[in-house]
Amino acid sequence: METILLGVSAVNRWLGVLRTACIFLSSCALVTLIVIFGWLVFGRYVLNVTPTWVEQMALLLICYIAFLGASAGVYEDTHLGVSFFRDSLGAKLRKFVRIICDLALAGFGLVMLLSCIELVQFGWSTKLPMLNIPEGIRTLPAAICGGLMLLFSGARSLQGIFELASMVTRKPGGTE
Amino acid sequence: MGLAILLGVFGISVVIGIPVAFAMGLAAASAFFFEGFPLLITFQRIISGMTVFSLLAIPFFIFAGELMLHGGIAVRLVRFSSALVGHVRGGLASVNIFSSMLFGGISGSAIADISALGSILIPVMKEKGYRGDYAVNVTVTSSIAGIVIPPSHNMIIYSVAAGGGISISKLFLAGVVPGVLMCICLAVAAYVVAVKHNYPADKFPGWKIVVQSAANAIPGLITAVIIVGGVLSGVFTVTESGAFGAIYAFIITAIVYRSLSWEDFKTAVTTAVRTTSMVMILIGCASAFAYLLALYQVPALLSSLLTTISENPIIILLMINVMLLMLGMIMDMAALILICTPIFLPIATGLGMDPTQFGIMMLINLGLGLCTPPVGSCLFVGCAVGKVPIEEAVKTIWPFYLAIFAALMLVTYVPAISLTLPGLIG
Repeated sequence: METILLGVSAVNRWLGVLRTACIFLSSCALVTLIVIFGWLVFGRYVLNVTPTWVEQMALLLICYIAFLGASAGVYEDTHLGVSFFRDSLGAKLRKFVRIICDLALAGFGLVMLLSCIELVQFGWSTKLPMLNIPEGIRTLPAAICGGLMLLFSGARSLQGIFELASMVTRKPGGTE
Repeated sequence: MGLAILLGVFGISVVIGIPVAFAMGLAAASAFFFEGFPLLITFQRIISGMTVFSLLAIPFFIFAGELMLHGGIAVRLVRFSSALVGHVRGGLASVNIFSSMLFGGISGSAIADISALGSILIPVMKEKGYRGDYAVNVTVTSSIAGIVIPPSHNMIIYSVAAGGGISISKLFLAGVVPGVLMCICLAVAAYVVAVKHNYPADKFPGWKIVVQSAANAIPGLITAVIIVGGVLSGVFTVTESGAFGAIYAFIITAIVYRSLSWEDFKTAVTTAVRTTSMVMILIGCASAFAYLLALYQVPALLSSLLTTISENPIIILLMINVMLLMLGMIMDMAALILICTPIFLPIATGLGMDPTQFGIMMLINLGLGLCTPPVGSCLFVGCAVGKVPIEEAVKTIWPFYLAIFAALMLVTYVPAISLTLPGLIG
């Protein structure tokens, strides 16, 4: 059992790298968002030329910030939730409920991945106004978020299942 | 049946601890599936819910708040407040409240307010002989001012949740008097408790120091002037003024104050990304959820339910307040604004209440929830910053709680408090 748990935590470390990549990309998108809006204000009031592509680009960037950041939040377990009902349960039951939550999140991630791939395909032939790039690029981060949620929550639920199994099989004296 | 599925899946998901955003997404997906819609409609609504132009101001406000927190603006505001009001009895509590009024006005976030001011003021208050629970309670309750004193990203969320028909500049103006009123109520409560415990008063440092500290704090305070002034004057849209405010905050902290290191900047960006994504995914999922609530005519159902209990507007508004308070105790603010606005706003406007006044009432009410266990994120952050057990803080929070409740009742039943300023300037 310990070998399996060690394997799962090794996978989690790799998923941690993915999380860091998500935060890095979202941070770059946020800085870009601020820079292009600075350019918009500068263009409008100083150069007297409004860069019209900024609005569409901003709406594209916000999708990447939101979805990539949200998937990192799933890994870090920082999304706002009500945990006091779960926290009031006993250790084993709490672990069980936690697994259910992670499985539900993984399921939601899977549905999100499949539906958003469909949306990406659907929007690939249409171009985003002012940017002239496929509209599917806007829905792509949602598909990535779905895939990452599936990975992050799936790995955590797997780890939870093994931990619960070891809790159940552990004898009161502490041996399996 | 569809409504039962929507509410049932949402309720169960929240109770077992699934994050609120995804609980709404799951519930919406289940209801869409039950109604025979393709599942991708859920995600189409989530994406379209978050790609609204005025919502782009949210990351800018959050980032500006983070820059101020890590870039030394908060410390200068505390110095200014301390010089100005530190000499009254329990002076540090007044400093705390006055600083919250100034800082909250800039950052628009209660959590940023507690993190910034609490980490500076709570240790100083404890060192000067104030009880830890008193210091935490003053910090936590005064942070609600940040939610209603403009600029506030929660006002943008409210405006979007209300269908975008409510002017953000009107909301900004409407929040000023209630925010100041709340701070006055809190200062009175803090003073009464300070007299009871015989807390000390600092010596007045003289007007020269007051002017010096004001001059030092003014560049930081101008951030709020840029954001609010830009929107009110019509020069900028709310999004542009948010971006300009964030750029200005960066210039002030990095170049003028020279107190923003590369590490501070990285922390500010990554924290802003985490908070923004949390809020935006919440907004997207709530958009899908609210779409279904409207489809099932929930506002009309609740309205008829409330009017069967009483037809007196005063009673109905009180019931709405109690419901919001109870919901605020168990769920976070952004989610509740998004869920409750489409439900309660038609009822309130049906009673003749102005949507702007309703927004301010709701924000104060849900802000109160942030200070209330079991969820109360502000209370948790405040207790963590002040290293005070929650049970200890909760025992003595009630004078401050009553002060905000008094302000809430005044805002609910006296429209002039929130509507006079927008009427004069707007």
